Amino acid sequence: MHKATQNQASDATRQHKMQHKLKRLQKLVAQHEPVLQRGAYIGTGFGEIDAYLAAHVEHGGLPSGGVHEIAAASAADMPAALGFAHRLAAQFLQNGDADNVLLYGQTHATVRDGGQPYAPALAAYLAAHDDKSAHGLSARQLVYLDGVTMPDLLWAGEQALTCAAVGCTVLASSEAVPDFTHSRRLSLAARAAERPLLLALGRTGASAATTRWRIAAMPGQGWQVQLEKLRLAYDTPPPVNGWTVYPQRVQVSPKASLEAAQPSNLVPLLRRAV
Amino acid sequence: MPTSGLTSSLTGRRIIALWFPHWAAEISRADYDAAQPFALIDMHKNAQRLVGLNAAAGKAGLYPAMTLPDARALVPDVQTAMAAPQDAAARLKKCAYWLQRYTPWIGADTPPQTADGLTDYGLLLDVSGCAHLFGGERALLEDMAARLAAYRDTRGITMRAAIAGSIGAAWGLARFSPTALSIVPQGQDAEAVLRLPPAALRLKHTHIDLCQRLGLDTVAALARFPRADLTRRFGPEPVLRLEQALGQAGESLNPYLPPPRFLARKNLPQGVTQTEALAQLIAEMCDALAAQLQAAGQGAQRLDLTLTRSDNVMLALAVPLAHPTADAGHMARLFEERLTRLSNGAGGLDTGYGIEQLQLVAARTAAITAPQTDISLSRRLCKSAPIAALGGLYDRLVSRLGAQVVVQPVLHASYIPERAVRFVSVLQTPADGAQDDAMPTPIEATTRPLFMLCAPEPIEVIAEIPEGAPHRFRWRRVLHEVTSAYGPERIGPEWWRRFVGESPIESGGHNSRTRDYYRIEDTQGHRFWIYRDGLYDREIDTPQQAPRWFMHGVFP
Repeated sequence: MHKATQNQASDATRQHKMQHKLKRLQKLVAQHEPVLQRGAYIGTGFGEIDAYLAAHVEHGGLPSGGVHEIAAASAADMPAALGFAHRLAAQFLQNGDADNVLLYGQTHATVRDGGQPYAPALAAYLAAHDDKSAHGLSARQLVYLDGVTMPDLLWAGEQALTCAAVGCTVLASSEAVPDFTHSRRLSLAARAAERPLLLALGRTGASAATTRWRIAAMPGQGWQVQLEKLRLAYDTPPPVNGWTVYPQRVQVSPKASLEAAQPSNLVPLLRRAV
Repeated sequence: MPTSGLTSSLTGRRIIALWFPHWAAEISRADYDAAQPFALIDMHKNAQRLVGLNAAAGKAGLYPAMTLPDARALVPDVQTAMAAPQDAAARLKKCAYWLQRYTPWIGADTPPQTADGLTDYGLLLDVSGCAHLFGGERALLEDMAARLAAYRDTRGITMRAAIAGSIGAAWGLARFSPTALSIVPQGQDAEAVLRLPPAALRLKHTHIDLCQRLGLDTVAALARFPRADLTRRFGPEPVLRLEQALGQAGESLNPYLPPPRFLARKNLPQGVTQTEALAQLIAEMCDALAAQLQAAGQGAQRLDLTLTRSDNVMLALAVPLAHPTADAGHMARLFEERLTRLSNGAGGLDTGYGIEQLQLVAARTAAITAPQTDISLSRRLCKSAPIAALGGLYDRLVSRLGAQVVVQPVLHASYIPERAVRFVSVLQTPADGAQDDAMPTPIEATTRPLFMLCAPEPIEVIAEIPEGAPHRFRWRRVLHEVTSAYGPERIGPEWWRRFVGESPIESGGHNSRTRDYYRIEDTQGHRFWIYRDGLYDREIDTPQQAPRWFMHGVFP
C-alpha cells in the first residue's frame, strides 16, 4: 500500500519532468523556427463548413499562407476533389488583387485520366460566387502546366509561391504523392510567402499540410466533404462524417461572422506545424 | 525547248546580281592614279602574278594571273601594290551591309572554280517587292550604280549588274551581258539566258573547256541536248546549273546576318566537362552581357548560348524570355535550370572531351522603359512590379518545363467544344490590349464540364434508348448505371468551314456529324458529359450500324 503511493508519486514527478522537458523543447523549436505569418484567413464558401470554422477554429477560417490538401475519396472522385479545390481557389483569388493569376498544374497521369481544364467553364465556375463582376477570370489570368513530372510539379509550385502576381496555385496529381519533406518544404514556403497552395491528390501520404479535406461525390450533384486533418487550434473536432454540400445551389456565406473574428498577428504556439 | 521556269514566274522573285570586275584593285588602300594602269600582285602558282587590275590596266592589255615580268614588259609604267585578299573580302561584306538600303536580303555569291584560281567578287540581292520604293527596277539599278561610282572615299567602283527572276540568270547576265546594266522582264529569263555562252551557267572551268571542244558556244546549244545525255557526259552539276538559270530548279540565297550587338564569349585553355563549372562560367558571361545591355538601355528577349566542344561539335541552347530583361542573376538562373535538366535527363549534356568555347548572344532585344533593379524573389520588390515578377516566373517555368507545357488558353470562335479553346505558350500570348481576352461567360459555359478529355473516348453503351441518354454504359472498364440525364444539347458540324477554306472537314471524319450531348449522373454521384456521334435517321446510314457514344468530359 505504502509502496503503491510511492510509485504514484514518482509517476507524477516523472510526468511533471516530461512536461517540463516538452515545454523546453517547444520553446527551442520556436526560437529556431522563423516567425512566419499565415496571411489572411478566408472561408470556404460553404455555409455549414464556414459556420464550423468560425465557431470552433482559431482565427475562424483557412489561412491563405498554407498548404491545403484536397484528397479524393476514390480514384473516381478526383473530379469532385478538383472541383472543391477550385472553389477554394476562387475564395483565395477573391481575397487578393483582381488581376492575380491562377496557376494550375497537373502531372502527366492526371492529364491522361482527367483531361485538361476547359477554360470558359472554369472561368464561369470560379465566378459563380463572385458578385463583383460577371467575368470571373480572363484568359490571361489562367496559367496551366500541361503535364509535368511530380518533381517538376512540386518545383513549379515552390516557384509560384515566390511570385506576388500568382494569387493561388493548384497542383493536381492523381497517382504520385509528395513525400513529407516536399510537403514540409512547400508548407514553409507558403507560410513565408503568405500565399495559398492547394494540392489535389488522388492518394495521400504523410504530409505537413495545414488542412486535408477528403471529397467524395454524392448523388444529386453534391459532395461529401470531410476535414481529415487540421493543424490549427480548435476546441471541437470537425464532424467525423463531414458535411454534405451542394455546390450548384447558392450558398449564403457567413461573411459577417468571419469579419467578426479578426485575425491577430500573434500566432499561438499551440499545434503549430513543426 | 524549255520555257520560263515555274518557280520564278509563280513566286515573282527578283534577284540582282552585282559583279565588281575590278573590286580588289579599286578598294585597295594604295594611293594611285585611277587613269593609270594599276595592279595588285601576289605570289600565286609559284610566281608573282597580277591578282587584281583596275580598268586602265585592263585597257592597256594586262590580264589577271599574268606574271609580273610579263606585265612590266608590256606596260613599263604599271603601278603595283601587294594584294590583301582578306581586306578585300571584309570590305565586300561591309559593302553588302551598306547595300541594305535597297533590300535586307543580301548574300555573297558562290563563284565557280576558275582556271586561274583567282577570287571573283560579286553580291546577290533579293529585291522582290523592293523596286517600287525606288521608282522601278531601272531607277533602282541606276541609283545603285551612281552611288557605287562615288562609294566611300575611293575612286569609285566599277559595277555590272543584272536583274532577273533567278539567281543563275542574274549571275550570268551580270557577267556576260553586252550592257553593264541589264534587266530581264519577269518570266523571260530563259530567252535571255539561252543567248549567253555556257560559262554564264557558273560551270567549272573543266566543263567550260569541254563545251568549247564540243563546239557548244551558247547555253541554247547546251540546252538542246536531252538532260540524261548531259548528265552522262558532264555529271549532275551542269544540268542543275542550267535548270537553276532557267528558273526550273530552286535555289536559296543565304543572306549576311548582321553581327550580334550584345555578345559575351569565353575561350578556355582546357576543355571543361563539369556542369557546375559550366554554370559558373555562364553566370560570368551573363554578368558581362547584362552590363552591355544595361549600358544600351536594352533588355534581352531571347538568349542563345553556343557551347563548342573540343571535337568541334556545337551545342546550342536557346532561352526565350517573357519580358525583356537585363538582370544577370535572372539570366544565369534560367541557364542553370536548363543545364540541371539536361544533366538529369537520360540523354544528358554530352560535353565529350570538354567544352572549349562558350558564346552568349542576346539574339533579340527590346528597350527597357522602366529602370529595372532586380527581379529578385523578395516580396517587397515583387509587390512593386508584379508584371515583371510574373515574367520572371514564366521564364523559370519555361526554361525548365518547356514552352509547350506552360500555356494559357486562347478562345476561338467555334461551336465544336474542343475547338473553342486552344492552349498557347505564355511567351506567345499577345501583349496587353492586343486582344480582348475577357473570358465570355455564355449561358452554356456553366453547362460545360470543368475538365475536358484530351480526345473524346469511345464508351460501350449497354442499355440504349433510342433518342435518349443510355441507361448503362462502360467507360475505362467500369460499369456506370445512369440515374439522371439532362439533354440532349445538339451541336451540329460547322458546315461553313469547307466554304471559307478553313480546315476542311472530310465527309465521314470525326467532326462531320451532329452530336447530341447529355449531362448524366451515375449511382455514385459522378457526373459526365457524353455524346452520341450522328443522328439516327439521317447520318447513320444503315440501321444495323449502332451509333457510337463518346465520353468527352467530367463534371466536378
